[in-house]
This record gives sequence, structure tokens and C-alpha cells, in this order.
Amino acid sequence: MVSIDAAQLSTRELNIKLNALVEDNQDVKIINPRARHNVVVGILKKCQITVEGSLGYYCASLLDGPTVCIEGNSGWALGENLMNGVIRLSKDAGASVGASMRGGEIFVGRNAGARAGISMKGGTLIIKGNAGFLTGFMMQKGTIIVCGDVGDAVGDSMYEGVIYVGGKITSLGNDAKIANPTQTELSVIDKKLKKNNIAGSYKFKKIISEKKLYHFDKLERLEKSAI
Amino acid sequence: MCGVIGIIYKNTKELGLAPVGGDLIKMLTALEHRGKDSTGVTISGLDTQEDYIIRCRVDNKKSSISDLLLQTISKLGAVIKYSSFEKGFGKICINYEGEISELANNITLIEEVKVDSIGTNSEIVKDIGNAASLNNSHLIRDIKGTHGIGHVRMATESKIDISHAHPFWAYPFPDISVVHNGQLTNYHTLRRKYQDMGYRFQTGNDSEIISVFLAERLASGLSLDKAINESLDVLDGTFTYLVSTADAIGYAKDRWSAKPLVIMETENRVAIASEETALRSVFEEEIDRFEPQEKECMTWLV
Repeated sequence: MVSIDAAQLSTRELNIKLNALVEDNQDVKIINPRARHNVVVGILKKCQITVEGSLGYYCASLLDGPTVCIEGNSGWALGENLMNGVIRLSKDAGASVGASMRGGEIFVGRNAGARAGISMKGGTLIIKGNAGFLTGFMMQKGTIIVCGDVGDAVGDSMYEGVIYVGGKITSLGNDAKIANPTQTELSVIDKKLKKNNIAGSYKFKKIISEKKLYHFDKLERLEKSAI
Repeated sequence: MCGVIGIIYKNTKELGLAPVGGDLIKMLTALEHRGKDSTGVTISGLDTQEDYIIRCRVDNKKSSISDLLLQTISKLGAVIKYSSFEKGFGKICINYEGEISELANNITLIEEVKVDSIGTNSEIVKDIGNAASLNNSHLIRDIKGTHGIGHVRMATESKIDISHAHPFWAYPFPDISVVHNGQLTNYHTLRRKYQDMGYRFQTGNDSEIISVFLAERLASGLSLDKAINESLDVLDGTFTYLVSTADAIGYAKDRWSAKPLVIMETENRVAIASEETALRSVFEEEIDRFEPQEKECMTWLV
């Protein structure tokens, strides 16, 4: 494993060096990130990246393939637009974790801020602790598993996808409703939690879209005339 | 986008005054990417012998203005212990037993003078540019105190000049000031209400209403905790703000959790900032950080 000291490099230099090492099939460890923004971005290859310390905004974003383990916290929008791969964060995530993610898995070891999984389009977002306001806001596909509590307006304006909550639901968002999870779903959750070393028995509630807000079959006036 | 920061030392009575100025500059430098239209700080708990510190700006096109200002202050019965005017920035230390509103109103009658703050143990220093230029012009780094707040501004709603830079002093309440990240949507309604009550506004910036609102609530007998709590319902729009008083710091975050804030606390001090990178610039040790959620507020005493 090759180690990069972030304190010695600008963000651009750090990302260029990281990409070069990954292209060279090296596993990389980043030390002293000191909550810097935009680190570990745009890597489109299977590889192992470890970060010792906290990250800032939009870190581990635009990824397709890597396994990124972060020993610390993250700022806003960790794993934004993740296509494939795994992101494991040991502590708290800021707001908008997993924004617009399309695949892969993000695991948050403690709590997540507001708008976790906003506009999610696939993949799995697992939060061991609590998640904040507007969890799964406008999500379109994918799975969010929150072992703890969720804040107000969970699943607001969601199109598709599913949110499982192990703890308390403060309130449901517009067009979100509670459904009963099937045995198969519960055993899938169980497997995913065990894989992330989460023990404990949770009574998961399932939140899905009521589908009263969107009507894809209704065309605009001009669209109708075009047919 | 803007950046807010705050720091408070909890054991200054036993350990002596702390390097608040240095901490604020470090944190503001780390947040420079959130805005560098203007930068400003309130430093409180200063070691001062006089009753009040006045921080103001004087239009130095006419050299007689500073003399007129000093005469105006003296006429009200204040004893001027110290005064300096450099590059248009004035600092005056006085002993004064009268009403602060009378003092402030009389000073602002002079058109060429803008008052940034009047405090018993605090002063506001703000200028155009980034943290480095604020420090170069005003030597913030060496100022010692008990607590302080700061702001880097990327202007969205009102013009870029020193008057519209944060922190905003709660005219005419000594030592109360606010830094704010966000936009208030009911600013004009609130401002009209407070103007009808007789309060004056120095600028057209929405953030100014927060400091006047809090100061008015404090003056009417509410605790800082309660005043901040009330603001969560009164203020509409997006906000994360920090308030500094003579002996405390507090924060509030809006109902949408729209603007960021993270906090690190040790036995001796609390640091608050828009981003963790600013906290890491003053905490060498690896400690946990806490992120407040929507509609949350908290205060710390010196």
C-alpha cells in the first residue's frame, strides 16, 4: 500500500497522484486530509483506498468501482453520483450523503445529516445511526436503510425506491406512506447489516411512494399535439 | 454562500485571556473559499479599563471629521481615554455614564461617520477582502479575549461595502452582534415592525434584523437561550447564525437545515464553523465533531 500525505499537496495534486497510483494498480492510503473538500473523486476502476481522517464536501464522489474506507467524518454530499463500488465511513456524514447515487453501497458508521440519499437513482445507502430532515427526498430508485431514527418529512416527493427505518419516524413527507416489509426484504436487510458488522434486532418499517404526486402518463399540451 | 465561525474559551477566569484573534484569523483563512467579498470579526472579553470601546469608520476626505466626532462624544459628558484614526478606521475608548442610544444617535448624526460597534468588552472589526488582508490592516491575530465570532462573505442580497460586511452590531445594544449565512425572506416585514418600535437600521442587509431582534428580546428580559429559540419561529428563510454577547455565544439553524454548521468542544474551548476544515485549523488533536440538525440552537457561557 502506498501512502499519500495530503498536507503536502494541493487538492488537485492529490487527486492527480491518487489517480496515477490507482492506474498503476496500487492500493492507496491518504493521511492528514484535515476535512479537505473534493478529495478522492473521478476514479473509474476497482481499487482499495483508505483515508485516515475526516473529509470535507463532495468527497469520494463521481466514483465507479473503488472501495473507499474513511476513518473519520465527512462533510456534505459524500459519495455523490456513485456508480459502483463501496464507501465505508466510520463516523458522521454531513448533509446529502449519497446524493444522486446510481449504484454501489455507502455505509455510514454513525449519524447522517439532512437530505440523506437525496435524488438517489440506485444502489444502497446504509446508516447505522440516525438520519436527519428530508431523508430520501425525491429519490427515484434504490434502497436506504436507517437503523436509528429519521427526522421530519422522510421520503418527501419520492418517485420509486424504498426506505427502511429501524427507529422512530418523526414524520412522513408528502406522498410517502408506510408499508409492510416482506420476510424476503427483512432477510435481505439482515444480510446487508451483518455484512457491515451491525448486530442487533431492529423492527424495520418500510416507506414507499404513494404515487399521487407524479403522473408520467400525462403529456403536456404541446407534447400531445406532437403525437 | 458565506462562512460563519465562532470560538469561546471556557476557563479564561483561571487561565487568563486566550488567543481569540489568532484563532479567528486561522478559521476565516480556512473558509476563504466560502467568500472573500468582505471579512469581519467580533472579539469579546477584551482586557479594557474604560467603560466603552467605539469602533467606527470616518470619511477621511475631511480631516476635521475626527475632531468633530471627538467633540460630539465629549459634549455628551464622556471622557475620552484613547482615540486613534487610521486609514479611515477609528477606535475610541471612553468612560461614559449616559445612555448608549443617545451616544450612538449623536455620533450617527455626523453623516461622514459610520459606527461599527459600541461595546463594554468587545469590538467589531470588518473590512473588504479576505482574512489575510483583514489581519494585515487591523492586526487581529494578536488580540486576546474570551470569545469571538467571524464571517467571510460572498454577497447575494445587498451591496459589497464595509457597512454590509458582517458581524452586524445590534444598534444600540452594547456587545451584541451576529454573523449569518443564508437569506431571510421576511426581512422587510420584520424591519418595518422594529422600525415602528423605534429601532434604527444602519444597512439594507437582512442579517442586521437578527441582531436587533435578539438584542430587543434580551433587553426585554429573556435569556439568550430563550431569545434564540424564539428566533427559530420568527425568522423565515434560510439561516445558520451565530450571536455573540458580552459573556456568551449561541447559534441557531433553520427548519430546513439549509446551511451547514459543525462544532468541536473540549474541556477548555468550543469552536463552531460552517465547515470542519476550519475547526481542524485550530484543533491539532483528533476530537469528535458534532453537526446540529434542523431547528436546533445552543449557547455557551464564558
